[in-house]
Amino acid sequence: MRNGIYIVEQYRDAGENLSQPNFEQVFLPHLDAAYNLARWLLRNDQDAEDAVQEAYMRAHKAFARFRGGDGKAWFMTILRNVCYTMIKKLRSQETPEPFDEEIHQTVGESEMQEAFRQKANAESLHVALEKLPEEFREIIVLHDLEGLAYKEIATVVGIPIGTVMSRLARARGRLRAEIVAAKAKESLS
Amino acid sequence: MNHDEAAKLLGPYRDGELDLATCLKLEEHLAGCPSCQQKLVAEQELVELISAETPRFKASPFLKTRIQAALREEKSSPMETSWWKHFSPTWAFSGLAIAVAVIVILAAGLFSTQRIPELDQEAVANHVRSLQVNHLMDVASTDQHTVKPWFAGKLDYSPQVVDLGPSGYPLIGGRLDVLGQRNVAAIIYQRRKHYINLFIWPSGPSALHDHLYNQNGYHVVGWAKSGMNYLAVSELGEKELKEFVGMIQDQTLDSRPGE
Repeated sequence: MRNGIYIVEQYRDAGENLSQPNFEQVFLPHLDAAYNLARWLLRNDQDAEDAVQEAYMRAHKAFARFRGGDGKAWFMTILRNVCYTMIKKLRSQETPEPFDEEIHQTVGESEMQEAFRQKANAESLHVALEKLPEEFREIIVLHDLEGLAYKEIATVVGIPIGTVMSRLARARGRLRAEIVAAKAKESLS
Repeated sequence: MNHDEAAKLLGPYRDGELDLATCLKLEEHLAGCPSCQQKLVAEQELVELISAETPRFKASPFLKTRIQAALREEKSSPMETSWWKHFSPTWAFSGLAIAVAVIVILAAGLFSTQRIPELDQEAVANHVRSLQVNHLMDVASTDQHTVKPWFAGKLDYSPQVVDLGPSGYPLIGGRLDVLGQRNVAAIIYQRRKHYINLFIWPSGPSALHDHLYNQNGYHVVGWAKSGMNYLAVSELGEKELKEFVGMIQDQTLDSRPGE
């Protein structure tokens, strides 16, 4: 190009040693995982984007305290805290749909499995997962969607591994029940 | 291992989270327990369904741009709170004087060096947004004599619109956009499945340097010519974008006397 184009280098942090991984290299690869969790917890794009950005800002401030190791779990812990702070703020504005015990208990075990097979599809799953309380929703997102190990989830959520195990079991149970309940409601109406 | 214990461990077993000893004990129980076998199959089906059918929300490229911009802003003002605490009151005044001097120097430096990347980042964000929200064009036309007059009355200047269709970069339309807090013309060109946003506005006293800027696979080429600033933004390869820019530069020269 005849006009002598010069290159403005981007990701070079002036004060940082090049041999050390910089903040963006370590944490930006977790952007999608972070956004997915935030979006499932907050249930709308705008809030999820704000939460993710806020988490990056906080992580950046705390980066000096990051001692290597599992960057994803470290970052997701921060993100989760941001999300819960936002949820608390938003909570007052919404009315959660109660878990309908009557409908959930009228279905027998084998019927449940059958109904589940017929009913489950992307849409019903989405709705069912959104209905779960956050503590169940987040554990399913972290494990079954993002593929975090129990140990990582224990770090992110701040609970013992045994609790991860039992909570995930309950979460899956509730998700299954929600899908079946949606089916039951449909056939009642 | 009794049945109740085993039933509780089916999930972790499926997830590959059991240690070997527990695994073996569970498998022993499983072999003779149709109820647990059935539950394990159900568990497997549920988890497979969740991971296959549940949407995994993806962050938009614009969010990434936004975060990177915010991080850069953060980096340019690090450690503001800690250093000045060490000054004693007697040093405060000279400290203040030094700080003022430093700020003045930094500010001068910012104006000459930071302006361009900021504008480039904004241009990339505009480009990404234009593709994302389905608002690529306000006026869709492959005819330069339609696109150019469209800007009349919407801008206080008239951008030159050239068609590079014969060279493989067809003009497809125009859009009003905002860049550096002013309205600018965005001319859109297409290259295969890719788009190029060409932003044009009067350079005034702050003509752009010729430069190339890269960010996350987006390239920005900037230059000034005949009193106008130009920024071309695209996800196209650098080589092709430069080729495009070269042609725009040639054409804007050629067509000027005839305008």
